[in-house]
Amino acid sequence: MTNKLPSVSRRTIVKAGAALGASAVFSPAILTYAQGETPIKIGMHDPFTGTYAAEGESEKRGALMALAEINAKGGMLGRKIELVTEDDAANAGLAAQKAHKLIEQDKVSLLMGAVSSATALSVNQVAHEKGMIYMVTGGHTDPVTGAQCHWTTFRICTTTYMLAAGLAETLYKKFGGKWYFITPDYAFGHTLQESYAKLLKKMGGTVLGNSLAPLGTTDFSSYLIKAEQSKPDVLINLTDGQDLVNSMKQAAQFGLTKKFAIGGGLSELEVLRALPREAKLGWWTLEWYWNQPNTPHVKEWVAAYQKIYTDGTYPSARTWFGYAGLHSLAMGVAKAKSLDAVKIARALEGLELPPEIKLQPNKVYFRPGDHQLMSSEFPGEVIQDGTYPNLFKVAEIVSGEKVALPVAETGCKLDYKS
Amino acid sequence: MNRIIAIAAIWVALVALPWWLPLIGGYTALGSKVLIYAIATMGLNVLLGFTGGLSFGQAAYFGLGAYGAGMTLKYLAPSTPLAILIGTLVGGAAATLLGPLVMRRRGIYFAMITIAIGQLFYFIMVRWNEVTGGEDGLAGFSRQDIHFGPWLYRLDETNFYYLVLLGFTVAVAVMWMVLQSPLGHTFVAIRENRRRIEFLGVRVERYIWAAFAIAGFITAFAGTLNALLFNFTSPQDLHWILSGNFVIMIVLGGMRSFFGPLIGVIIFVVAQDYLSSITGNWMTFIGMIFVLIVLLFPRGVLGILARRVEVR
Repeated sequence: MTNKLPSVSRRTIVKAGAALGASAVFSPAILTYAQGETPIKIGMHDPFTGTYAAEGESEKRGALMALAEINAKGGMLGRKIELVTEDDAANAGLAAQKAHKLIEQDKVSLLMGAVSSATALSVNQVAHEKGMIYMVTGGHTDPVTGAQCHWTTFRICTTTYMLAAGLAETLYKKFGGKWYFITPDYAFGHTLQESYAKLLKKMGGTVLGNSLAPLGTTDFSSYLIKAEQSKPDVLINLTDGQDLVNSMKQAAQFGLTKKFAIGGGLSELEVLRALPREAKLGWWTLEWYWNQPNTPHVKEWVAAYQKIYTDGTYPSARTWFGYAGLHSLAMGVAKAKSLDAVKIARALEGLELPPEIKLQPNKVYFRPGDHQLMSSEFPGEVIQDGTYPNLFKVAEIVSGEKVALPVAETGCKLDYKS
Repeated sequence: MNRIIAIAAIWVALVALPWWLPLIGGYTALGSKVLIYAIATMGLNVLLGFTGGLSFGQAAYFGLGAYGAGMTLKYLAPSTPLAILIGTLVGGAAATLLGPLVMRRRGIYFAMITIAIGQLFYFIMVRWNEVTGGEDGLAGFSRQDIHFGPWLYRLDETNFYYLVLLGFTVAVAVMWMVLQSPLGHTFVAIRENRRRIEFLGVRVERYIWAAFAIAGFITAFAGTLNALLFNFTSPQDLHWILSGNFVIMIVLGGMRSFFGPLIGVIIFVVAQDYLSSITGNWMTFIGMIFVLIVLLFPRGVLGILARRVEVR
């Protein structure tokens, strides 16, 4: 055999090309070190696919607004900040995995995010193990700042209990204390109904009855007739999704909306926007609303939002969660003058949000005992014939401090290492 | 000889993974997750690829293992080995007890009844709020360091990976021995020609039951490790979507080959992890990869590689 160059087949060239392409995909991670002073990275996990994608997108938009403002003022500790977002698809296992990725691979210094409660709880666990500050933006379930609270975790959105309490008080004052419930027959519905019943009894009202409707019920007439016969002041309808549409439609057909008030639980601008007209009625609570004529800075903030996002949308409570979440982290770091987690946690405890960030009238601060932000509830009535964004009429802005459970009753014991 | 070199190379790569994975943009927890899912899918493949039983509810035993381990740590005793043992037994026992319901059915009915049983456990976990944490998932437990007499094995990120690797090795050895035994040969024979085996006087249903139980125990074992990986488990770990993903991973890698599922898991998990960081439409790409592989390599990635080796 003579000595000659090894023959190169077409296949080898294709393979080499593929390898080159693959290496180009991986290289950006290496490049960032060459850009002088490294920015501080903040990791955010949120659902950008699936049922909660609209809410996740809103939170991201809010965080990006805060990011631009913070960087315009010189960043954190004199360094620029950078937001690294990851899609958790509202899956708790994937969220925990992405939290590991953000910490180990992207080397973020702080964590934030969550729409689904389960993802908030799973990342809560990861952040605590890694000793990293985690700002929960959405994810309302009580244990995050209750039985499963950790020193590393803070939460912007209100608890399930606060949501119920904020609305219950308003409904009780306005309409009276005889209530009937239609509850979806699964765990979350039961918990919500129990908190409502407890609150109602505490205020001196009575539960006239409670119908458990299986998920996917299409015919609500038997529950509605039972509700009507009991002559309530308020009918609380805790169903969700398509069940909510069906039940509200039938309640309107029966003329029940004219006989007594119908109320629900949490609603959001994103949800209201997607509802058909028939289901757009009753009393609900939001956690923030863009139309607050008497609150300073709100109008300017909405205008600033629309300057950046020109798709005709209005900021929602979720946008504010992302915005307030990142600003809170920045304020905590500035006050601690360090990226040390314990120092930041101590700095955030009791920290009060300034008017241009809280964007609501009441005092808003992180409660030291359970790290829950004391932000307001916005109970009110849905405007049936309203067009986006005029979908809601806020009746009252209830201070969070007034409706939150006392720390001793939340079951939270912060686990700082001494 | 080539085979031995290939297997040795795989093991060296697995042992050294905590060093090289971060260099190419991965992280240790991702390596642990790949191995855990590999145990689960290889276990399922004993039933699916080797016996020919299409189980669409395998996540139920994965989730039962996870909840079993989590609840042991949370309510019973702070011991990692005990949690793994109890979780595996709970999930495996459930599969063993339910096997007789499943084994009589064939084809689509087999798939349907496994989905139904899977969703049964899913709804138990969602609705039994006080014990399982309902939709929020089970949290509030953490893996405990392991004591061997005076020695302490601290379960940090890297050491936990080695625990998973040990589990993977044991599971692979067990499955390999089963598939090399007369029992394993009977499984394959049932897949190839069930009627003929029946005519030979073999009680086919009992063997399907055995395959179902073995798959159940091994998947449950993977589930316990999955609960310990993030110290968290949720009803999504029992949902039929995860069961379907298991089947997709096996088909991607090649369901006729022993290590096929491992390749499928690597493709699926890494693609999910990497693509979902870049684009919100990552599911589209996973779907495209799946369609391409089914069209171009109906025997899976490893199936096609194995055939090329044979041809040469």
